[in-house]
Amino acid sequence: MQDLQITRGEHKHLVITHVSDETAQWRITQEADSVLTIHLLCLDKGDETTCNVLLDIDQVGEHAETYIYGLGVLSGKQQIKVRTHVRHSVPNGKSEQLLKFAVKDQARGEFVGELIVAPNAQHTDARQTNRNVLLSPTATMHTQPQLEIYADDVKCSHGATTGQIDESALFYMQQRGIAPDEARRLLLAAFFHDVVSTLSESEVEERIQRRIAEKLQ
Amino acid sequence: MLDIKNLHASIAGKEILKGINLHINAGETHAIMGPNGAGKSTLSAVLAGNPAYTVTEGEVTFNGKDLLSMAPEVRAREGLFLSFQYPVEIPGVSMTNFMRAAVNAKREHQGLPALNAGEFLKLMRAKRALVELDNKLAGRSVNEGFSGGEKKRNEIFQMAMLEPCLSILDETDSGLDIDALRIVAEGVNKLHTAENATIVITHYQRLLDYIVPDYVHILADGQIVRTGGKELAMELEESGYAGLTNNKG
Repeated sequence: MQDLQITRGEHKHLVITHVSDETAQWRITQEADSVLTIHLLCLDKGDETTCNVLLDIDQVGEHAETYIYGLGVLSGKQQIKVRTHVRHSVPNGKSEQLLKFAVKDQARGEFVGELIVAPNAQHTDARQTNRNVLLSPTATMHTQPQLEIYADDVKCSHGATTGQIDESALFYMQQRGIAPDEARRLLLAAFFHDVVSTLSESEVEERIQRRIAEKLQ
Repeated sequence: MLDIKNLHASIAGKEILKGINLHINAGETHAIMGPNGAGKSTLSAVLAGNPAYTVTEGEVTFNGKDLLSMAPEVRAREGLFLSFQYPVEIPGVSMTNFMRAAVNAKREHQGLPALNAGEFLKLMRAKRALVELDNKLAGRSVNEGFSGGEKKRNEIFQMAMLEPCLSILDETDSGLDIDALRIVAEGVNKLHTAENATIVITHYQRLLDYIVPDYVHILADGQIVRTGGKELAMELEESGYAGLTNNKG
């Protein structure tokens, strides 16, 4: 467990990259007016790895902002469990979570998104989105959004979907001469685009899209 | 160019095409008309290789090759183009990336080098003018948020980019107002040469005022029941499908 405290008005940006079967656990407290941005990139080269990620975030000062952007491509027998625990303990906090996973082969993914808004945390603005695409019939993804909202004047939304590659889009692209593998690559690049673009550096974006493409082969 | 012999096809166990015979030469425009449920769209889907349909009997030869044994993308690279009745929206995939992948896949198939970025954009610019699409097209996601008319113009734009030898226009007139219809039809006419052929699938005679066919075929219950010249479409307009399909003997 790594502990981190972000002091008043500070901006911290963490990039957590998964390249092994290590487990990452972060406990972060945010003081007033602090901004935390986390990028979680699960693009492990291995096919057998298991990893657990826990992001435990507590906003203890008002007007703190938390942004969590995550993506993962899981293949082979990989297993990933990502748990986010975001607690708004005080009023006027903001949090945004966007996590996307593509799962193939016999890989198994799990996302648990716990969002807690304490009774006095009025005017909290919290969003949580988890989208997943299954690329093989044997791939699985479990998603559990858990929202506990004890304040009544808040803006909270969450959405979780798990689907497959759009077959009609695939056929449309094939009809234009694009091979199915290339069509899937384009569709998945589009799927991950909004997460990748939050990295804001186009060079990094290209490298990550290339890494995603390699992983999907 | 295209030779269809005794083509039977079904979807989910239900037979839709019940023995289609059709021969198309380079330079020709054929219209296929018929009532709803006759199998018009099934025919276009089967020719394009839509995996939802199963061919149960018959053969199709395209430029001397067995069309039915080819994967959909190979049919496209060999020069078969389908203008979809309902073009698919692909959020997040830009028209530029989409068309570059398509054009270069065809060029590779033909043993030609890929176009560089400059050449490609120049080609896009020239072809979109044909159907009066503006310069925002390149950055937009494929068909996403396009109006009905824009989607159909975008189909013809893609046809212009890919220069197919056989184009199948599936209900290209559906949902178009008269101005969009004119733009689409003029685009199709400009692309027509002595070396390529067009199949126009339509429910109404209206489109054929703009794209004049050499032959008109009436499809009913999975078979071609009448073939004639362009005057057959006029006759159809007057007597309706019931009048035509009743006296097929």
